[in-house]
Amino acid sequence: MRWFTFFCILICISAFQSTMIKWITIGSAVPDLYFSLVVFYSFLTDIKRNTITNWFTGLSKDLLSEGSLGVNSIFFVAIGLLIWSIRGILYKGHLITQVLITFIFSVIYNIFYAAYVAVSFRSLNLLPTLWAIFVCSLYTAVIIPVLFRILGKFQPNQRLFSVGDR
Amino acid sequence: MRISTPNFHNLIKNPLAIIIPLLAISLLLLFLPLKLSNQIKAACVTPIRPLQWATCFCSNSASNFFDKIISPWRDAQAKKQLEEQIAQLTNKIIEQQDTIYKLQNKLSMLSKFQIENKNVKTSVIPADIIGFDTSNFRKSITINAGSKQGVKVNNIVVSNNTLIGRIITVGSGSSVVQLITDPASRIPGRILQTREQVIVEGNATAFCQLKYIPRWAKLKEGDDIVSSDIGGLYPPSLPIGAVMQNEIKGGALFRSVKVLPTVNISKIESVLVLTN
Repeated sequence: MRWFTFFCILICISAFQSTMIKWITIGSAVPDLYFSLVVFYSFLTDIKRNTITNWFTGLSKDLLSEGSLGVNSIFFVAIGLLIWSIRGILYKGHLITQVLITFIFSVIYNIFYAAYVAVSFRSLNLLPTLWAIFVCSLYTAVIIPVLFRILGKFQPNQRLFSVGDR
Repeated sequence: MRISTPNFHNLIKNPLAIIIPLLAISLLLLFLPLKLSNQIKAACVTPIRPLQWATCFCSNSASNFFDKIISPWRDAQAKKQLEEQIAQLTNKIIEQQDTIYKLQNKLSMLSKFQIENKNVKTSVIPADIIGFDTSNFRKSITINAGSKQGVKVNNIVVSNNTLIGRIITVGSGSSVVQLITDPASRIPGRILQTREQVIVEGNATAFCQLKYIPRWAKLKEGDDIVSSDIGGLYPPSLPIGAVMQNEIKGGALFRSVKVLPTVNISKIESVLVLTN
């Protein structure tokens, strides 16, 4: 894995997510490109690199987001480890697997994050929050094939689901 | 007897040797005081701000370009200006109404004291929006004015004469604005027509909600909400939004009131920072 490439991708995603995301926003559905990156590297790399990349991804999301530092890094490391631990039993590289895994784990991540926000500020409403979680996760999952294709071009010497590097 | 010293390379081979320190750093960052945490953020993100500004500039330029191409039969700029003028005039009317209600109240109470309106000198700093919050559950924007321009923490940010938030982090050339729709935002306000005090809080959607509105409060859809100077943080009479939904749920102690912000924050490109 090329670290330089990873950091370039991370900076590009940070810039896009924090400035141009409204271009691809549909109603209240906002895709989380950081999360796609977490899923991509969790599939792609071994546990150590997976942990480090997810930690940096979470930290950069924290830096460009309102709130405490470290929340997303913890969530992303945890989600990354979960995906990494089950990737061996998944159907290798199938498009539907990638989309489904992203959707399921995005829902889990968003529920935990919303719970954290709700506990901290007690100001989230249940139904709108659940709806936001659903549509955002769905949108994040839907763009996965395109995004993985683009990201795969930048990490050409690695293949998705290369179980050998576990 | 030979004592084998642990090799750094072998130590790193153990995944826990990476996971535990990283999680420990994250926890440490998580429990940092908010002020320190914001300072770290401002310092770390400073190198990215020019890139963010450039991306935003290109994005906005491209957006305007496409707007003109898609709708050549409409003078987009003229329409935009007219809309802005209408919004400004509407807000002026709300402000004037608020003043009238205030004066009526004062007269009705037969106050014998002359109250002098002190002209507080407020300087205004114009700024462009250069970034949005990356999280789905937090609502903040980044603007291209910072301590160099005189922006300070807790300065009020308005757009079209409407309150949109307050400054929470200040960097040298950029600042972060906590929007009124952020879950952590709590703004003292007043219902323009009934003069009842309310707390406007965000809930991470495009709307806000009013907190602790008693069941017997006189409220109706369309009532305007303006800011109140209670607490001393916000100036009075700045329009915030209008009541959109007002209902009493089952055995709830308070009303559930949804507020539509006067300004659609996702559509504005520049703001004004009130520095005093």
